[in-house]
Amino acid sequence: MADVNMTLDMVQASQAGMKAIGAGLAVGLTGVGTGVAEMGIGAAAVGAIAENKDFFGLGLLFTVIPETIVIFGLVIALLLLF
Amino acid sequence: MLAPKPMSRVLIVASRDQAVPIIQELYRGHLFHIEDYVEQGREGYEGFKIGTPLEGATEASAELIKVRAIENVFAIRGEDIEAKEKLGQPQIRSQIEKDLPGIEKEVEELAGARSKLDTKSKEYEQKIAELAPFLEIPVDLALLRGFRQFSVLAGFVNRDVSLTVPHEMQVVKGKDRSFVLAIVPEKNRTETERLFQDAQFQAVTIPEENGTAMARTAYYTEQIAALKKEIDAINTKLAKIKESHTDLLVACEEAFRVKIEQAEAPLRFATTSKVFVAEGWVPADRANGISEALDRATGGKVFVTELPVDPLHDAVPVEYNNPSFAKPAQMLMDIYSRPMYTEVDPTLMLAIVFPLFFGLILGDVGYGLLLLIMCFALRRVFKGDEAREFLVVLRNASISSIIFGILFSEFLGFELPWAPIIFSRHLNIGGAEAAGQGPAIAQLMVVAIWIGILHITLGRALGMINHARQDHGPHRMKAVLANFGWITVMWGIIIAIWSMFAMPLMPDLRGAPIIAAGLSVSIVLSIIFIVMGLIFIARDSVLEIVELPTIISHVLSYARLVAVGLSSVAIAMVVNYMSIGMFIGPALKNLSIVGVVLIIVGVLVFVLGHALNLALGLLGGGLHSIRLHYVEFFTKFYKGGGRKYIPFGMKRRFTED
Repeated sequence: MADVNMTLDMVQASQAGMKAIGAGLAVGLTGVGTGVAEMGIGAAAVGAIAENKDFFGLGLLFTVIPETIVIFGLVIALLLLF
Repeated sequence: MLAPKPMSRVLIVASRDQAVPIIQELYRGHLFHIEDYVEQGREGYEGFKIGTPLEGATEASAELIKVRAIENVFAIRGEDIEAKEKLGQPQIRSQIEKDLPGIEKEVEELAGARSKLDTKSKEYEQKIAELAPFLEIPVDLALLRGFRQFSVLAGFVNRDVSLTVPHEMQVVKGKDRSFVLAIVPEKNRTETERLFQDAQFQAVTIPEENGTAMARTAYYTEQIAALKKEIDAINTKLAKIKESHTDLLVACEEAFRVKIEQAEAPLRFATTSKVFVAEGWVPADRANGISEALDRATGGKVFVTELPVDPLHDAVPVEYNNPSFAKPAQMLMDIYSRPMYTEVDPTLMLAIVFPLFFGLILGDVGYGLLLLIMCFALRRVFKGDEAREFLVVLRNASISSIIFGILFSEFLGFELPWAPIIFSRHLNIGGAEAAGQGPAIAQLMVVAIWIGILHITLGRALGMINHARQDHGPHRMKAVLANFGWITVMWGIIIAIWSMFAMPLMPDLRGAPIIAAGLSVSIVLSIIFIVMGLIFIARDSVLEIVELPTIISHVLSYARLVAVGLSSVAIAMVVNYMSIGMFIGPALKNLSIVGVVLIIVGVLVFVLGHALNLALGLLGGGLHSIRLHYVEFFTKFYKGGGRKYIPFGMKRRFTED
């Protein structure tokens, strides 16, 4: 990266680009993580709700627990970008 | 408020001949939660027995089944029907005697006839399906049966077959399989079948019909059309009956239901040959009223008394006790679990905080207005109580969304004519010059964290109250202190962070005076807080120490209030940029036919994009707000699992006493 011919503008632009890539990775990868985690819980919760409707609240609760992961990713991304 | 309604345990004793007036009075009062009497079933026990139903229960049940059968035919459901006027008892009785049998008979006959016609029409359809393969065979089907010397084979094969025996064969080519009809001498039958088998032959029975398949199919189609006409005629008749008698039917159903519920009440009482005893729960402030009403109904021939209540060990039924504006939020509580009788009821807090969270996330005047309009429109569609409550919750949330939208100065992602009153959420989308100071992300994050800290501290404090109320003995103090320990550990960590870093909107303790070993006052304080908290927690349960990281993750989880909100702002601004900046704006500059098309595309992008974002915002705003309550708030203090208070009786909608 440390090319001698790079001007300051170019360095700054590439830094901004790197930040954007980092932010994208933060949201994307945590999103995948959340999805993988919710996959099993969601399927089990729907099964349980099919058996007993009263389970809806608890099922929803369990299903959204991994949401936190992607929220952390989103927070990091926002802090990176702004 | 903040606690379920106080309940009294009431015992009613009377002789059996007073059962009818007492049951009727209790039913009318709609307050008495009957505690079912359970026979112990011990051998040699000669005491109370479960009572027997009152007279007329069996007849009423039979009638109810008939009425419900008719309602099923018409697909009527009592809940979906607006009650117009309530029918009085004499009126309903005369109608049950006079009109109902006639209607029942007529509907039964019509429905029977209809199902017969339906069966016949199905039969014909089946025949048409059987004839379908033979449609292209121009031979009378009667000619394909009754041979002695020959054998007729019909069926599908998946490739061409050439027979080596003398035969006559017709092939109808299909898409991926062909239909063959072959006539071979009886003695060659086995050999032919083997040849066919190689081509995966699937035999088809030859329909028992006279005439060509084409002619027969036409005949059956005609028959089905005729049957359809008859069925339509019956449907019209039924629709007429439905139109004129719906009100009567739902009223009758209600009348029979009331009768059955009353008649079966003694099954829940303890009885001897002479007296019966009913035990149950009544809201404490209504207990006197019930005993007076029963006195009046029986002319004083009843004994009513209040029994002592042990709130911890009696399974006291739970009825919410909330101011009316918080009532709809009870629905959100019931989704999680009803509070126990001894527990703090957080409905009121939920009713206030939920809309605030929703508004913080979806703070946009445009979306708020759209949701509000949607609420009022849906009120006409949904009639059930639960749906109504849900809509009220949504209405409050959308009002809060409008208020926050004014504060954030947002309208469908555009800026309103004033600068944001609280922190700005305006992002810099599409390279446009940032208006004002740009988004105040850091400040917003800190505000969200503050909300989390306070919410969780409140939750732990409520946990202390709950444990103080519910636990006994040495465990009580330990449990209360453990909850206090969680608070001190959390605040210890926060103070430690303040002592090390400066953050917007938070105290900066870096400059606190140093007292010992190079440690400042605040650091020492935070260490004391954390160690004390850890000791308190470990004294209650050592395993709980494993849960310590949740302090950080739960507080940080409140960052979603900002993060989810910002993502919806970003989508809105991107939609605006795409539709106006990319399609409509350039097209307006020099108007042409292509430009008009571009404008239409731009408007489409605008509408679809905002519709999608509204749906996402509703889902995100609602789910994340409720999740913060369920996961981060309730887990600190709330157990739930209370028994629902179901008073004997019901709200009559179509009939009167």
